[in-house]
Amino acid sequence: MLKNYFKIAIKVMMRKKFFSFISLFGISFTLMILMVVTAFLDIELGSHAPLTQQDKMVFLDRLELKLMIPDTNMIIDSTRNNGTVTVDTSFSYSERQRSMSASSAGYYYLNKYMSNIEAAEDHCIYSDRHTVDVFINSNKLTLSSSYVSASFWNIFDFQLVEGNFFGPSAIDHQEKVAVITQKTAKEYFGVDRGVIGQEMILDDQHIKVVGIVKTPPSNQLFLGSGLFLPLTNIDPRWLTSEDFLGGFRATYLAASSAKRQAIKDEIKKKTALIQLPNPEQYNRINVVTASFLENYAEHLLNENDPAKSRSIFLYSLGGLLLLFFILPTLNLVNINVSRILERSSEIGLRKAFGANGNDILYQFIFENIILTFVGGIIGFLLASLLFFVINSSQVLPETVLSFNYQVFFYSFLICLFFGILSGLIPAYKMSKIHIVNALKQNSNG
Amino acid sequence: MIKLQNINKVYRTKTVETLALNNINLTIPAGEFLSIMGPSGCGKSTLLNIMGLIDEPSEGSIEIAGQTLPDYNAKSIAKFRNEKLGFIFQSFHLINDLSIIDNVELPLLYRRVGSKERKALAEEALIKVGLKNRMQHFPGQLSGGQKQRVAIARAIVGQPDIILADEPTGNLDSSMGNEIMDILLRLNQEQGTTIVMVTHDESMARKTNRLIRLFDGNQVQ
Ligand SMILES: Nc1ncnc2c1ncn2[C@@H]1O[C@H](COP(=O)(O)OP(=O)(O)OP(=O)(O)O)[C@@H](O)[C@H]1O
Ligand SMILES: [Mg+2]
Repeated sequence: MLKNYFKIAIKVMMRKKFFSFISLFGISFTLMILMVVTAFLDIELGSHAPLTQQDKMVFLDRLELKLMIPDTNMIIDSTRNNGTVTVDTSFSYSERQRSMSASSAGYYYLNKYMSNIEAAEDHCIYSDRHTVDVFINSNKLTLSSSYVSASFWNIFDFQLVEGNFFGPSAIDHQEKVAVITQKTAKEYFGVDRGVIGQEMILDDQHIKVVGIVKTPPSNQLFLGSGLFLPLTNIDPRWLTSEDFLGGFRATYLAASSAKRQAIKDEIKKKTALIQLPNPEQYNRINVVTASFLENYAEHLLNENDPAKSRSIFLYSLGGLLLLFFILPTLNLVNINVSRILERSSEIGLRKAFGANGNDILYQFIFENIILTFVGGIIGFLLASLLFFVINSSQVLPETVLSFNYQVFFYSFLICLFFGILSGLIPAYKMSKIHIVNALKQNSNG
Repeated sequence: MIKLQNINKVYRTKTVETLALNNINLTIPAGEFLSIMGPSGCGKSTLLNIMGLIDEPSEGSIEIAGQTLPDYNAKSIAKFRNEKLGFIFQSFHLINDLSIIDNVELPLLYRRVGSKERKALAEEALIKVGLKNRMQHFPGQLSGGQKQRVAIARAIVGQPDIILADEPTGNLDSSMGNEIMDILLRLNQEQGTTIVMVTHDESMARKTNRLIRLFDGNQVQ
């Protein structure tokens, strides 16, 4: 029975080459795009080195300093009541924001107030990205660098290619050392390994390369740095300034992702207790903490509210994917409907020879399942091929797309669902068709 | 045996009401080869379809093989058709996407016969109509006469008691028509299959046991 259905499904598919092609193309192309998009998202946002522990991270992203001034409003309400005027006066007291400045935090603030977060297992401080111009044979090369504490390497698991990370003593002694990415090594030395112990000249300083790490695929935040130096090597004015604002970020590591909130709370609480040195300039301090995804979305969207930007980001992404899914699905439904309707004479014949309504229903559902499966297989092959091309070509050199089988499985299930659903309605209609009328329609053989 | 009593069939459309069959009473004993003749539009196909339980009369009762119909549901009527009846149509109605042998197997498919047995029975039926060496062909590769022989093989594969043929030779030239007619006659004589055949061809009709004529929905002979 099934074998017979299978035969006819394949036959119909081959005969209606054009429609089958469109239908299959819809399914397989959708699946392929979905796989590529999720693979890219996974690279950007997934828990991979150096962000394997991202689920447990809290990013201290930004400080906001505000000057709030009292604001008194008097509201006079007059009502005319039978010719007499009643006046009602009310006052409201509130605060008004006079000025605000916001930026990444100052080292002073992070070091003095935020180094002792008890809810955190570990934390690190690192500078915003600085750009340095270096000259190699009179060619200018612009590098992006970060000054980081020793614990930076504990929290972000960069993958060492050779050499080592620098430790606390390098920080204490302001050692002129650097960990660089393979990309930087290639750009500076022309090779991406074998340069441990060699020197780079940055702003007239001789810096010794102690470690080479794999270049992270993402370019966001500090991940775009090609050069990591001990925190204490930064221009000392950054470290001695008592400004609350400017230049540094901290990342805290919680024991588990559930414990992140405790860290956020503690950071907020400790910050609220700070006595600001110049209340006439700023009298309110607010700290913004975020998860990696929130942080990412915030920077991508140029927004100020981490939770909000995360929702915007996720919703628009979801919306786009949905839209992308709906179009081929409608196409699939449409094609299935017409594909089935035009076979009324075959159905009339089958019924005349004893097929009952259910037999007809099952036949078409089975056919649609087959069609969807073929589409799924083609989609799988297309995606694999595309992944292979992207990964093996040097178009995106740092990018290794990995196939997410789970996403494929679920998208395929969705396709299957719609494949079955779209077959169900016309098949049901056909299973109820009047035999004589069906036979009168364009007879084939 | 088929027994029709007081069969009326009315087609109603928005503008006209057609009385396709008017008070038909007909008894066909088991083993008879009956032909139905009459001008175009007189209700021959309608009558055959009602006998074949693929169309319902507006009034009247049908008794086939001792069962009075229609008094049970669509599913059991489907089963009844599958086991007792075989159809042959003027326009063959083969499924172009299936090979000849798969076409012939079709009635057995709905009888839940295993695939090996299906193959064997279909092969046997194709041998009877002289198409043994065409089993793996497709309908598109056959002549009209060959297609109709496939249709006959499909109608007899399940060994039904009754075969209903609506102008089986209508689309064929006379020599091919005679071939088809010979197969049907042999079936009737050797297996005792009851056959009801609609035809426009007097010479074909004369070869059968009995002939009835319809005119404007009435039986006139
Ligand atoms: N579905 C229908 N709706 C309305 N009228 C119909 C329908 N089917 C048949 N008729 C009418 O019923 C009458 C009998 O039709 P039927 O097909 O039985 O004729 P026939 O004798 O088989 O003709 P032919 O020799 O041309 O095949 C005709 O007048 C036809 O127009
Ligand atoms: Mg007719």
